[in-house]
Amino acid sequence: MRRGWRPILVGGAVVAGTFALAQAQIFEPSVPAAGTVSGGDVYVGETVFERECASCHGTGGVGGSPGPRLVDSGLDTREITATIEQGAGVMPPGLVTGKDEADVVAYVVKIASP
Amino acid sequence: MPLADVSETYADLVTAVFSSTIAAKAWLATAAIVLAFVQVTTAARMWGRLRFLPMRGPIVARVHRWSGRIAFLCTLPVFFHCVTILGFRTPDTRVAVHSLVGTFFYGVFAAKVLIVRDRLLPGWALPVAGATLASTLGLLWLTSSLWYFTNVRFGF
Repeated sequence: MRRGWRPILVGGAVVAGTFALAQAQIFEPSVPAAGTVSGGDVYVGETVFERECASCHGTGGVGGSPGPRLVDSGLDTREITATIEQGAGVMPPGLVTGKDEADVVAYVVKIASP
Repeated sequence: MPLADVSETYADLVTAVFSSTIAAKAWLATAAIVLAFVQVTTAARMWGRLRFLPMRGPIVARVHRWSGRIAFLCTLPVFFHCVTILGFRTPDTRVAVHSLVGTFFYGVFAAKVLIVRDRLLPGWALPVAGATLASTLGLLWLTSSLWYFTNVRFGF
């Protein structure tokens, strides 16, 4: 084998290994500690939350204006889903829907657990 | 330790410094891209370009090596989060491009490290490998950190 192929072969093996690891997602949080009862993804929900909710509820849900603190609030999946879908106070209904809603619910359940 | 606890521990560690795990990824990737810029400029200096830079000889080489090492360390938490927690995803073009390019990143890195150590390869191999690695990191930064800073928030 010509010497010049070695970096390409090793690099290719690393790419294949990375892809296999990414497919396995070995450290993906599992049910139920991560709050995936709603079928949402905690880590994707974190991004959606930061984009759609953090301006009122604060980064990471620590509380802001006018959104109340969500961290350690003890809210469960049903309460969070109802608030998102029906709104509460100045919070309009349906701020997030579909997959985004499920992901946000999963994330909020996680940060709400005391 | 159960696998789920690993991601919980990781999240706890990261959020002790940053507001969220996503923010941590965005800033660590930004540190890596800044150091990659140092890598490219010092490499160019070593290859006889950018003569206006005051550094020369062994100092340039040392800065090049250490900026590369620190940049690599900065990418490790990002790798852990992206690959072992989020995995390969294709919900939209940005994430698909990020996943695809991210899969290749450490392969390109490994090839570049081997090329650095192989003095029998043609002279163009190392600059091409280095430029490919820097471009790969640049594309990853554009499809993640820049998106986060412009679409989510700019802050720690």
